[in-house]
Amino acid sequence: MSKTAIIVGASHGGVQAAASLRQGGWDGAIRLFSAEDALPYHRPPLSKAFLAGEKTEDQILLRGEAFYRDSDIDLHRGEPVLGLDAAKREIETAKGRYGYDTLILATGSRARRLLVDGAELDGIVTLRSLEDARRIRPALEQAGSLVIVGGGFIGLEIASTAAKAGKKTTVIEAQDRLLARALPPVISDFLRDYHRDKGVAFRFGASLAAFQGAQGRAQAVTLADGERIAADLIVVGVGGEANVDLARQAGLTIDAGGLHVDDKGRTSDPHIYAIGDVAAAHNPHAGARLRLESVQNAVDQARLVAADICGAATPTAPVPWFWTDQYDLKVQMAGLSRAGTTRLMRGNPDDGAFTLLELDGDRLIAAHSVNRAADHMAARKLIAAATPLAIDEARDTTIALAKAVARTDA
Amino acid sequence: MFGWGTGHKLDIGGMDEKVKIVFQSVDGDRRIEVAAPAGTSVMEAAIMNNVGGIEAECGGACVCATCHVYCDLVAPESLPEQQVDEDDMLDMAAAERRPTSRLSCQIKLNRDLEGAVFILPEAQV
Repeated sequence: MSKTAIIVGASHGGVQAAASLRQGGWDGAIRLFSAEDALPYHRPPLSKAFLAGEKTEDQILLRGEAFYRDSDIDLHRGEPVLGLDAAKREIETAKGRYGYDTLILATGSRARRLLVDGAELDGIVTLRSLEDARRIRPALEQAGSLVIVGGGFIGLEIASTAAKAGKKTTVIEAQDRLLARALPPVISDFLRDYHRDKGVAFRFGASLAAFQGAQGRAQAVTLADGERIAADLIVVGVGGEANVDLARQAGLTIDAGGLHVDDKGRTSDPHIYAIGDVAAAHNPHAGARLRLESVQNAVDQARLVAADICGAATPTAPVPWFWTDQYDLKVQMAGLSRAGTTRLMRGNPDDGAFTLLELDGDRLIAAHSVNRAADHMAARKLIAAATPLAIDEARDTTIALAKAVARTDA
Repeated sequence: MFGWGTGHKLDIGGMDEKVKIVFQSVDGDRRIEVAAPAGTSVMEAAIMNNVGGIEAECGGACVCATCHVYCDLVAPESLPEQQVDEDDMLDMAAAERRPTSRLSCQIKLNRDLEGAVFILPEAQV
């Protein structure tokens, strides 16, 4: 009898898993479940080109509709998975029960909410899905002023889109700098200054006390120190939490805020894998178990589990990478920033193009590039190969970073 | 509505106007003709029509080099100028880089590209 693979969640990870299963020779059925009605789409443009009205929904599709048909992938749109019975190997939706031989949980993460007074008012939004972006796009167009709670990647991307459209934009950040968990201070400061030059205002070390409004509609936020900032639209971007409800229901092991998986993406149930935002895997680049919310992580983990399911050799752990576009800045990160590394500046932030290298001894651990794509690409290779760097050459922008390696013949 | 970004001179119609282009395998055995609205990218035209051979992992942000095409058969003047980041990314492409290599996410369809043939490399990842 032919086997069935079920994938729960049809974003970057889920769709890649379906594609990679077929490419890897899986000849059984593939059922791909999406809670959303739309064809699966790229999420990064939601806060950028799509929000700015520069791209249509057709232009951000992960794959055209023909892909699912031609690849014999049974895409169940608008059919959220409500239950998981791991003992019976069945999932349940409003339409019925479906059996599986292999299950891939790609349930992603959801926006964290701020439970302060006034959180139920209209005009307070989070941005995670196409549906969110469809709502925010016209609201942003009409708004004169915007408060963004949270100076993370999504918050800063929305700030960039809003400031470019001439909106009065204020970002409220609880830490004393931007992106404190992901990036070294020099990059945080550079981004803050760049945003300020574009007219964005910041409140650092600020915590939100309440949302205020009238007639059910938010009009302002108040901070713990009593300051009140009026806004026509309030965007909350304070991080995500993994969608582990199904996994918890099935008794799977939850760890580090996500679903515990081994180095092949397997959960504590031998028939169930997890990938993407929801999966908490040991990451050799971090030396710890963690969740990564990134396209690269979702796509690479999808390829990993598809290879394992198809009985192929699994790829080695890839170097994490990430990007964010703000104004005319392309910020690219390779590897994972960590405390205690040696920081080396390549180029000059005043020129608007530089790379901050993080080293452990002479090995590159992470590289954060602003408008230096070649450095980023070189860094990904250097980190993966653990190549010893020649420090003076790595600092010299007249020498390609890829060539700044320590000579072993001396 | 669309920001062309490159400063390249373009004579475009509205979004309703469709431009026909062709994707061809390296050996020339496989040819797929598709039509997509002016203003969409060559990458987007391939994705919308399930051409295969274009991965476009990053969705057109010019950060992944998985929508590589060879433009041997395309009139150079109908292509936008190559920006530095595209040039840098092409060095990372999985298939051999040639002088005619481009990232298809950086090429937006316009009337000059009607009938243009883009060659798909053997690998994108």
